[in-house]
Formats: sequence, structure tokens, C-alpha cells
Amino acid sequence: MTAPATLDGSPDETPVTEHGDRRSARRFGTVVVAAAVVVGLLLGYAGGLLTPRLTRPGDASVEAGFARDMTTHHAQAVEMGLIAFQRGTDQEVRSIGGDIALSQQGDIGAMQTWLRSWGLDPTGSQPRMAWMPDGTDMVRNGLMPGMATPEQMAQLRAAQGKELDVLFLDLMIDHHIGGVHMADALLDASDEPDVVRAAQTMKNTQQTELVNLRNALDRIKG
Amino acid sequence: MSISTPGGPERRPTVVSTGKKPAAGRPSAGAKAASGKPAGAGRSGGGKGPRKPVTPVKVSQGRSWGPIALFTAVGVLAVAIIGYGAWATFQGSKPWEDRANSIDGIVNYREKDPELVKGGKHQQGAITYSVLPPVAGPHNDAWQNCMGDVYTAPIASEHAVHSLEHGAVWITYRPDLPADQVEKLAAKVRGNEKLMLSPYEGLDKAISLQAWGYQLKVDNADDSRIDDFIKTLKVNASVEGPTALCNQGVTATGTTPRTPQQLGAQQ
Repeated sequence: MTAPATLDGSPDETPVTEHGDRRSARRFGTVVVAAAVVVGLLLGYAGGLLTPRLTRPGDASVEAGFARDMTTHHAQAVEMGLIAFQRGTDQEVRSIGGDIALSQQGDIGAMQTWLRSWGLDPTGSQPRMAWMPDGTDMVRNGLMPGMATPEQMAQLRAAQGKELDVLFLDLMIDHHIGGVHMADALLDASDEPDVVRAAQTMKNTQQTELVNLRNALDRIKG
Repeated sequence: MSISTPGGPERRPTVVSTGKKPAAGRPSAGAKAASGKPAGAGRSGGGKGPRKPVTPVKVSQGRSWGPIALFTAVGVLAVAIIGYGAWATFQGSKPWEDRANSIDGIVNYREKDPELVKGGKHQQGAITYSVLPPVAGPHNDAWQNCMGDVYTAPIASEHAVHSLEHGAVWITYRPDLPADQVEKLAAKVRGNEKLMLSPYEGLDKAISLQAWGYQLKVDNADDSRIDDFIKTLKVNASVEGPTALCNQGVTATGTTPRTPQQLGAQQ
């Protein structure tokens, strides 16, 4: 009250009260603005901290569903590929088997790394294929489209010679058709760059391999 | 009638209360204004009534309090929303170890017996385990196939422990568990890699779940902790990470571990 009066240099006492009131009101306004700026900065900081967490794919997202389900789908292809690589009699069957096993195992590593960086468990809370439209209806006995049944896997493990080559090619053709279908569903529903690019690569690879698997089957069957 | 009657009383109090608040504020504002204004009015030679100067001051005082209250309310609300979001995200991103420990009845051998869970050296032949069914320790170089395999006969612990090391959850049940209960467990396992199911002789509870260093025993296949255990520990509890294999393992049953000769013959 006294400081503004001195600054104003006004000796009159009555205007001092008036000016003092305005000054304190102004000072009060400055405090409010300062507080608003501080609160605003804090909110912005909190928002900045939270945004990456809120914008990255969540537990029930298409991307997380794809990463988990494609991991499982791939894992069976690795199993079949390694059997063909180890015990196939046809040279092309062995080389395709090894290629599929190693490249899909590599994909599994990438997909599991996404999940970890998104702060998610490898295991989801949603049913299999829930991320795909009508996806859960496609699951048969816990198996996603194209996956071999336990009986078919047992058959493949027991098979020998040309029988193994043919059975592997048959099973892998079905497996790839299912895999391409799942990759397509991701491409329809997601625009997460890494995931889209990986799904596109899987689709390209498996479509090319489908041609080669079918040609090999025709050649071996004679 | 029924609509207008609840509507009326409900609205009226709000009108009254909003009327009261400014009214409560006014006396103080008026008092301040009264101290300053009449003096100012007197100086400028106020032949006019005291009412005119009082009114503008009142308005300016009321104007500054309204936005402040609003701003504070919005601020508090925003902080509450963001705070809740942060809290929820934080809770959801708790490490799996914390979530595992919060599963009711789980036994954490990583804390209880750190020596046991250190790692698994490979060892041929039968191995004696201190915890049954085993949750960690030395094991056969061949692992049990854990690609969602549903074994209908007991399997060798020496192979199964190796699967645990690779991140599998091994579900075991007492052989006398009713078929519909077994089927419920099988439905959780089928088609899911890093899971396997087998009967196990001599269990003290109907069902026992194993992951590397963890065990949970439950009485019923409908127990929701089974899914919690799988979600929290499958792969996460792995010593070797998510790309350790579950395929290329032993698919044979029987509690005696396979010999190298038998394993060679399998391929």
C-alpha cells in the first residue's frame, strides 16, 4: 500500500487508496496468471509423459492381438519347417523348411519385442483372433486358420521319405493361406508403421512361397 | 405432473444457491468499495448519489472471482483426470514379478530358494527334485514339446523342467480329476505354444501349475487364478526369453527320461 504511493509520487491521501486498490488487484491478477502458467506447464508435462503410453497399442489393440496370435501361428510353422529341414528327402523341401523356420522365428523375436516395448505381456486377456472381424469364429479347437491339428503334427513327425515331403508341403500351403489372411486383416485395421511393414513383408513372403510350395508339390507328386 | 414436480424442486435450490454465493461475496466487496469510493466521489466533487460509483466496482470485483473459480474448477478436474490416467497406466504397467506375487496362493521359489532357480545344467538320467512337481533345477538336454501339447499320460519331469526354463507353463492335474475338468484345462492349452498339460501322480491338490520358479495349486479348473498365472508367467518367467523353442522336443510320455539313443531314434 505504501510502496505504490511512493512510486506514484502522489501526496494526496485519497487517491492513494484508490490507486493502491487497483495495484493490489493488478498484482493479484499477475499471481493468477503466473499460477495459470505453472498449472498449464504441469498439465503439459503430465500430458507429454502420458501421451506415448496412451497412444502406443494397448492390451486389447489390433496390433497386440496380431503380435500375439501371429507369434503362435509362426511358432507352428517353425516346428514344421524344422522337421522338413531335418528329415525332408527332397532338396527343395529341406531348403524351404529351413528358410521358413529361421525367418519366422526372426519375426517372432520382433513381435515379442514390440509387446515388451508396449509394456504388454506375451499372453493377452482377449480370446484368440478377437482383434480380427469375426476372428473368434475362425478358431477351431484352439487352432487359428491354417494351423495343423495335433493329429496332423503327429503324422508329420512319424512320416518318412517322400510321404514327409508331400505332407509338409500340404500342411505348409494351408498354413500360409491362413497366415496371409491374418496379415491382410492387420493391414486393413492398423496404421502402426512397424507393424504394417512387418505384416506386408509376411504377406509378400508367404505369397511367393505359396507359389513355390505348390510347384514343388506338383513336381514331387509327379 | 410427475415430471414437473421433481424438475421444479431440483432446479430451485440451484438457483437459490447460486444467488446466495454472489450475495455472500457482495458484502465484502461492497465494504471494500465503500471505503474507497465514497472518498473518491467526494474528491471529484460528487453532487451525485453514491449509487453510481458503487455499481461499477461491484461488477469488476464479481468479474474477477467468477473466472478464478471456474479456472480452478477446470484445473482441478484436469489434474484429477490426468492423475487418474497416470495412476491407472502405472498400475497396469507394474512389472510381472509384482503381479505374480499378488496372485493369491502362489509360491515364489525365486525368493524362497534362489539357489534352486539359478539355472539348469543338463544332466542325463533320472533326477531327484526337492519340489514336486518340479519348478526349476537341472534337467535333461531334451525338453518336452510344449506347443500346446495335451499329454494324457504322465511325462518325465527331467524334460518338463527344461520346458519351464524355455518359458512354458506346465499344468499338471491329479489323475482322478473328472474328465470335464480335464477338458477345461485342455481347452486353455490346445493351440497355444509355451503351454502343456499332463496328469501327475501324487498331487496334494487337484491341479498344480508350474512356471520357472513359481507354483500355484488350485482345487478347480474354473479357478480364475489359472488364467492369471498363465498370463503373468508364460514366457515372462522364462530364463531364456521368448524365442527359446518349445518345438523339436520330446513328444513321448512316460516318467523315465529318454536316453540319447531313444532321442536319436526319434529323429
